[in-house]
Amino acid sequence: MKGNIRMNKKVKNGINIFLFLLPGLALFIGVLIAPIFMSFRYSLHDMSLLDPLTKENYIGFNNYVKLFTSGSIHFPKALLNSLLLAALSVFIQLPLSLGLALLLGKGMKGERGFLSVYFMPVLISTIIIGQLWLKIYNPDYGLLTRALWALHILPKGQLIQWLGDKKIALASAFVPILWQYVGYHMLLMYAGVKGVSPDLREAAMLDGATDGQINRYIVIPSIKPIIKVSVIFAVTGSLKSYDLIKVLTDGGPNHATEVPTTIMINQLILRNKAGMGSTIAVMLIVLCFFFALVINKVFKKED
Amino acid sequence: MKKFVAMVLAAAMVCGLCACGETKTETSTSTATSTSTVEASTETSTEPAPEPATDEQISLKMWCIATESDSNYPAYKQAIEEVTAAHPEINFEWEATENEAYKTKIKAAAAANELPDIFFTWGGAFLGDFVKADRVYCLDDAYKAFTADLPESMLDNTTYGGKHYGVPLTMNVVGLFANMDMLAEVGYTEVPKTYDELIDCCDKLVAAGKIPFGCSGKETWCVTEYIEPLLEKTIGAGELAKIFAKESTWNNEDIKKAIGYFQEWIAKGYFDPSGISLGNDEVKNNFLQGKYAFYQNGTWNCGDVAAASFKSAVSEFPVIDSSKSALGQLIGGPSDTLAVAASSPNAEVAANFTFELGRAICHYSYLAGSGLPSWKVDYETPDVNPLTQAVAEICNKATGYVLFGDTAMDADTAQIYLDYVSQIYGSEIDGDGFVSGLTDDIG
Repeated sequence: MKGNIRMNKKVKNGINIFLFLLPGLALFIGVLIAPIFMSFRYSLHDMSLLDPLTKENYIGFNNYVKLFTSGSIHFPKALLNSLLLAALSVFIQLPLSLGLALLLGKGMKGERGFLSVYFMPVLISTIIIGQLWLKIYNPDYGLLTRALWALHILPKGQLIQWLGDKKIALASAFVPILWQYVGYHMLLMYAGVKGVSPDLREAAMLDGATDGQINRYIVIPSIKPIIKVSVIFAVTGSLKSYDLIKVLTDGGPNHATEVPTTIMINQLILRNKAGMGSTIAVMLIVLCFFFALVINKVFKKED
Repeated sequence: MKKFVAMVLAAAMVCGLCACGETKTETSTSTATSTSTVEASTETSTEPAPEPATDEQISLKMWCIATESDSNYPAYKQAIEEVTAAHPEINFEWEATENEAYKTKIKAAAAANELPDIFFTWGGAFLGDFVKADRVYCLDDAYKAFTADLPESMLDNTTYGGKHYGVPLTMNVVGLFANMDMLAEVGYTEVPKTYDELIDCCDKLVAAGKIPFGCSGKETWCVTEYIEPLLEKTIGAGELAKIFAKESTWNNEDIKKAIGYFQEWIAKGYFDPSGISLGNDEVKNNFLQGKYAFYQNGTWNCGDVAAASFKSAVSEFPVIDSSKSALGQLIGGPSDTLAVAASSPNAEVAANFTFELGRAICHYSYLAGSGLPSWKVDYETPDVNPLTQAVAEICNKATGYVLFGDTAMDADTAQIYLDYVSQIYGSEIDGDGFVSGLTDDIG
């Protein structure tokens, strides 16, 4: 009898939990899982945006093969560019953010002001940042060329096509992207640094530890979970980067600054190839998950 | 206690859901409002009907590319004011988006079957894709009332399977705009009439430290405005039209020759090297500021160029091979079009309204010098600028039109073509690479 009551209670609790979870679950499936599933279905078809899904345009995994073999899609190059951006984010942007976070987190005069200034680019619309950098890079009147002239680094009158020269366009396009999110990662890490107990710092100082040693052996290990989140954001963000590239170069000149998302839009919208566009979308999702898992594993191993 | 907590949580959840429902309505309203005011590249204007709403008030929405910086904006504004004043029963709303972004927007809307009642489009394959997918309302019935004002020949680029699907606005061709003050400095008092003269003029300009041409590399269609007249005047309009329509192959020695001429221009420094990373607006502004001697682009620029501070002229691109081409063979035609969505609940009303609006836009665009009329001109045109008049003169003598390549081709083919054009401008490939690449990828 008692067992039955306990069983009934368990079932009731289960139902209650399920009911409470249902709205969230429905939202999660409707907003995230279903679109991914639909994208995967589309990726198995050779279809335009205006075509329905039919057996006739089903082509299996051909789009995936074509993505890496077709010379007119430029996906391998785009992927390589994103991976390069991811590497730059991890090895340049994040150390810079960490350095600033450690500096500000230690407590200094005008801390709040510096924090606001570094975070400001994150608050500005990417389109505006893009326009701003377009003006900076303008070969005729751009600030960068003029500054190089004034500093005699560049002979006066010599023009540099920052965004028009295939050899330097990629680097030029990456600079604003890296610059914009330094403040974002800095803020995440700053919160972590501020969360480190002052007692630990003081104890280390009493033991004669220098600032560098305190940061290396106390602060950084303490904010490792935040650094991990930052690395995941930086890598997946690089794979998904689109807006600034779109404004600055639109993937040009001659595909030099192409990233997977610009190719996806080109295929999906401009070339009307919904199947191929969806294939790139699925690839991006897979890559983002893959890198998130790898980063998690690496950090776990280190722990 | 547990039951009580569960009930409180359930009540909170219900309240939350109800609250979400309420907010949803508000949010969607506020989103709609903010779209019209905040988006940087989108400008929205609403022209309310001048008289109070009646019981049979009909709402129509239009999307177009006439943003405030577009040379057609004043014409659209005036035309909309005029036509909506004549139709107080219609609540008309219109939204303009910048050219390149618009292409993305309209295609996404067509894919989702969420086109506005009336939408701007380009004739040829661009509209053809939508027609094929049954997204466009057939205008045959509505056209009957306008046959006297709109010649059927102007509907060629919007006719599919013998049925009409678009209302042409203006007609435009590629024109060679010249800064006559700069040309005078190298001894030219008029636009060079032959290809040899053009080359001589450019050589003299380069020698004098001036830049002959400005061309945006960021917007590849601008490069086609240089390459297509070169191709046409080398291989002839008939052959080029066949190639664009896939009735003939790209594998043509004369195409290599024409591309060779273009690359010679690049090698000789005829183009502004900065152009490769600039958008068309910036390049056009540079020309209007007197940085270049020539700017080859659509004749919708006539109004802006005529208003520049220097003495200007417009001409047809000269003939290169007179055995295959001749003056009067032009790139362009009536392409700017308004169409009606098949999904519009008021498609019939929208169709009639679109014809009236199209006629008015054509009228004001012609007067403003941003295009030639596709509709019959039955009004005085004393104020039409001299450049538009010169283009009208060129078009009067035209013997053939080849629609802009990226409009004539289907979306996928057009992107492949633009990709190769971009590579030519970046000197990535030569004529051989251009021809063999396009032959392999298109045919």
